[in-house]
Amino acid sequence: MADGGSVDGKGIGARVLRKEDARHLAGKGKFTSDFKRPGQKEMAFVRASVAHAHIKSIVKPAGYEHAIFTSEDLPGLKPMRALSKLPGYKLSDYPALAAGKVRFAGEPVAVCVADSRADAEDIAQMVEVEYDILPAVTDMLAAKKPDAPLVHDEWEDNIVFETFSDDDFQKIADEATVVIRREYRMNRQAMNPMEGKAVFAEWDDRQDQLMMWTSTQVPHLIRNGLAEFLDLEQRQVRVIAPDVGGGFGCKALLQPEELVAGYLTRKLECPIRWIEDRREHLVTGANCREHHYQITLHATPDGRMLGLDCDVTVDAGAYSVYPFTNGLEGAMAHGNLPGPYNFKAYKCRTQTTVTNKPGLMPYRGVARPGVCFAMEMTIDALAREIGMEAHEIRMKNMVPESAMPFMSIAKKHFDSGNYAKSVEMAVDMIGLEKVRASQGVPTDDGRIIGVGMGSYVEQTAHGTSVFSSWGVAMVPGYEQATVRLTPDGGLELRIGVQSHGQGMETSMAQMACEVLGIDPDNVMVTHGDTGLTPYSTGTYASRSMVMAGGATARACRVLAERMEIIGAHLMQCERTEVSIAGGKVVSGKGEVSFAEIGRVWYLNPDELPEDVDQGGVEVTMGYRPEPDSGAFTYASHACKISLDVETGKVKVLDYVIVEDCGTIVNPMIVEGQTFGGATQGIGTALLEESLYDEMGNPGASTFADYMMPSATDAPMYRVDHMESPSPFTEYGIKGMGEGGTIPTPAAIGNAINDALKQIGAEVMETPFTPRRVRAAIEAARDRKEGEAA
Amino acid sequence: MTELSININGEHIKADVEPRLSLADFIRDRQRLTGTHLGCEHGVCGACTVLMNGEPVRSCITFAAVADGSEITTIEGFDQDEPMAQLRQAFHENHALQCGYCTPGMLVAARDIVTRLPDADEDRVRLELAGNLCRCTGYVGIVKAILSVLEQRRI
Repeated sequence: MADGGSVDGKGIGARVLRKEDARHLAGKGKFTSDFKRPGQKEMAFVRASVAHAHIKSIVKPAGYEHAIFTSEDLPGLKPMRALSKLPGYKLSDYPALAAGKVRFAGEPVAVCVADSRADAEDIAQMVEVEYDILPAVTDMLAAKKPDAPLVHDEWEDNIVFETFSDDDFQKIADEATVVIRREYRMNRQAMNPMEGKAVFAEWDDRQDQLMMWTSTQVPHLIRNGLAEFLDLEQRQVRVIAPDVGGGFGCKALLQPEELVAGYLTRKLECPIRWIEDRREHLVTGANCREHHYQITLHATPDGRMLGLDCDVTVDAGAYSVYPFTNGLEGAMAHGNLPGPYNFKAYKCRTQTTVTNKPGLMPYRGVARPGVCFAMEMTIDALAREIGMEAHEIRMKNMVPESAMPFMSIAKKHFDSGNYAKSVEMAVDMIGLEKVRASQGVPTDDGRIIGVGMGSYVEQTAHGTSVFSSWGVAMVPGYEQATVRLTPDGGLELRIGVQSHGQGMETSMAQMACEVLGIDPDNVMVTHGDTGLTPYSTGTYASRSMVMAGGATARACRVLAERMEIIGAHLMQCERTEVSIAGGKVVSGKGEVSFAEIGRVWYLNPDELPEDVDQGGVEVTMGYRPEPDSGAFTYASHACKISLDVETGKVKVLDYVIVEDCGTIVNPMIVEGQTFGGATQGIGTALLEESLYDEMGNPGASTFADYMMPSATDAPMYRVDHMESPSPFTEYGIKGMGEGGTIPTPAAIGNAINDALKQIGAEVMETPFTPRRVRAAIEAARDRKEGEAA
Repeated sequence: MTELSININGEHIKADVEPRLSLADFIRDRQRLTGTHLGCEHGVCGACTVLMNGEPVRSCITFAAVADGSEITTIEGFDQDEPMAQLRQAFHENHALQCGYCTPGMLVAARDIVTRLPDADEDRVRLELAGNLCRCTGYVGIVKAILSVLEQRRI
C-alpha cells in the first residue's frame, strides 16, 4: 500500500487479535443493564394480551396511580412516524404507548415504574385493561383479501407498499422453453442477540440534557428520533452506546421503550432503567424475515436462465419501524432477487402487507436471505428438471468478471469479482464428486445424503444516492472520522458508527496503522457516543469498515501531512525530504517520534514552525466512495447434509464457504463474521420460527419453544477467501458483516431437496423442521400412490 | 425476607433477601458483580452460568435463598485459576468472542468441560456446550479454544 509502513504487519490484512477481548474475558465489559445509579427506577410494561382490539378502559390499582402511566399521562410524547418518499407508500404512526387501539399482542399499553423490575412487574400485573376485541389478520396473503380486517382503519386495504416492474417476455419466448414455477415461504423469526434491548436514561440538569445509554447500533439516529418525538432540541440529547451485546438489525431502530424512558426520566426526576427480557424480545420486538414468493423461471433446456417473473409478499406486521420503515424489505427484495445472474427479462411485483403482528425489522441481510432462498432453490429445481448439476447452471449464468463493472437487470452496479470462480471453488471444497458417489450407497440407519449450494451478491456500504432513492428518513452522506494525536504520541480515533461484536476497536486501529504505521495498541478507538463522535447514520448495511474505515484513512493522511511539516522543521530539513513510516516522521537526517510531535504541539508550541497547520494535530475528514452505489461482496456456500427419512431430521455434516469481500482488513474477524452469519442462517433453515396463531397470539415466547442454533447444530465451517478489491472504495474494501447469513437457507434447502429427489419430494418453506420434511415426503408418496392408482 | 450467608469469590457475605430474588439478580444488582450476564432468564442460554460449590449452575433460575451456605464463583473470581487463564488466552487467540455477552457464562461452562472431561473430543465439547448459546461466533472459535486447552492440559 502507498501509505506508510505497518508495524510488525499489523495494518490491513493482518490477523490482529482483538483489543476488545480482555475486558469481556475478565467479565468487565460494560453493558447498558450494568448501569446502576442511586434513586434509579425500573420500568415494566403492561402489554396487549390480544392482537387486535380497541382499548375500552385501563384501570390502575388503587394506591399505585402515581406509578402507572398510559398514553394519556404522557402529553407531548409523539408517535413514531418513519417517513418514506417511495411512491404510494402509506405512512402510519407507531405510538410509544397504545392510543385507543392495539395492533399486536405485546404492544406496550402502559408502563409501571418502581424501585426494582420485580416490583414494577407486580404493579403491571394489577393493571386491568378491558379490550373490545377485533378480528385479527395474521397471515400476509390473507391480509390482501378484500374482506380482511383492516390493521390501520384509515387505509382502504392492508397493503402498505407495492413495487412493480414489467418486462417483455416475448423476446425470450422462443428460446426459453423450460418454465419452472415454485412457491416459497420464509417464515417469521426473531433476531435474538444474546443481550436484548436495554436502556438507561437520566436527565442532566447541568447540561439541560437527556443522557441515554442504550443498546444500539445507531446512536446518532436514536438521538434524532428522541429529539423529534420527545420534542427536544438536538443539543438536549446525548446518546451513548456502551458495550452492546449483538444487534443484527433490531438495534438499528428506535424502540417505544426508549422514548418512554426518555420521557419519564425528566418527568419523574430520577434515572430510569429498562431491560428487555427474552420474552419481550421474542414476542414484541425484533421480528423479521417472513416473505412469500411465487416465482417463475424461464430457461433453455441447456440451462441458460433468460427470464425471471416473481410475485413477492412481505409481512410487515403492524407498525413501521423508525427510521428504516417497513418499505425497505419489499424494495430490497425487488432489487436483489436476480442475484449475481445475467437475465434478459425480469418482471417483479412486491406487495408489503400489514398484519396484527409486531412490526417487521431489518435483520442481517435484509430481504436478501429471502430472495436468495427463492432464487437459488429455483435454480436447483431447474437443474433437477433438465438433468444438469446446479452449479453448472450458476456458473453459466453469472455475470462474468470480464463484464465488470456491470449494471444488473435490477439496476445494481456490480463493481468487481469472479462470481463463477467462487462456485467452482466451493464445489471443489465440498467434494461434489465424492458426495455423488456416496449417494448411491444406502446407509444402515436410513439416512440419505444431500449436497446443495447457494450463491449471492450483496450490495454493501451503499450510500447517499441509494438511500435517497428509497426516500427514507435517514440518508447516509459523507462518513466522518476524527483523529487526534495525544501529547505522548498516541492516537485517539473517533467514529460515529458503533461496534457491537465486529471488532472495530481493532480493525479501525489497523486502518490507522496502515496509514501512520502506529501500533494498533497505541490507538484508542471511541465509538457509539453522540457527544464524542462525528455524526453517522451508524452500523448497518455492512457499511462500517468501508465508510468509517475509509474516513479513518483519509483523516490519518491529513494528520500525516501536518505531522510531516512539524517533523521536517524539527529535523531542519525540507518538507519534501520527510515521510511517515513506522509511527515516526523520518528523513535522511534522522527521525522524530509521534511523541515528540505531540510534545511540541501541546507543551512547547514555541518550537513549532511558522508554516505549521493551525488546525493542529486533530483532524476530521469525511469520506464517501464514488460512485456510492455500493461495494458488492459475494460468496458461494456449499453443504452436505444427512436426512433421516423416518423422522425428517436434518443434520449438517459439512459446510464450506468461499467468500470475496474485496481487500480483507482482518481475516480473523472476516471469518468470525462469516461463521456467525452462517450459523444464523442455519437457524433460519432448520430451527427458528416465530409462530402466531390465527388470533395473533405468539406461540414462541421462550427459548424452549423458539429454537436457537447451539454448538451441536453448527458445523466446523471450512472457508476460503478470494480478494477482488472494489475499484470504488478506499483500499478496495467491501462490507461483509451480513453476508454469511444470506445463502445458508438456500444451500441447506437445496441439499435437502437433493437428498429428497430420489423420493420426488421437495421442501419449500423454512424452517425445514422434521415435521415439514416429513410432510414433504408423505406428500410425494401420496402423489406417487395417486399416480399408480 | 430470608437471611443469606454466602461466599462469593472468597468473600463471606451476609444479606437479607426476598425469597423470590434470583441468585443472578443478587450477584448483579446487590453485589454489583456485573460480569454475570442475563440472556434469557429461563435457564436456556447459559449466559448467567456461575460455579456453585464447584459446579456450574444457571444463576437466573437459582434462587439466592437456595444458595445459602454455598460457595459461588463468578467470572470475576477466577483470577488465580489456571484453567481459566488458559481458556481466556485460548478464547482470545481463537476469536471465540465477538460481542462478549455470552462470554462469561461460556468461560465458566468451558472451565467445567476442561477440568471434568480431560479426554473430551470435538463432538463431546459441542454436546457439553449445547446449554450455552452464542449468537455471534457460530461456535467455531469457542470449540477450537476449548479443544486447544484440553490438548494443552493433556501434555
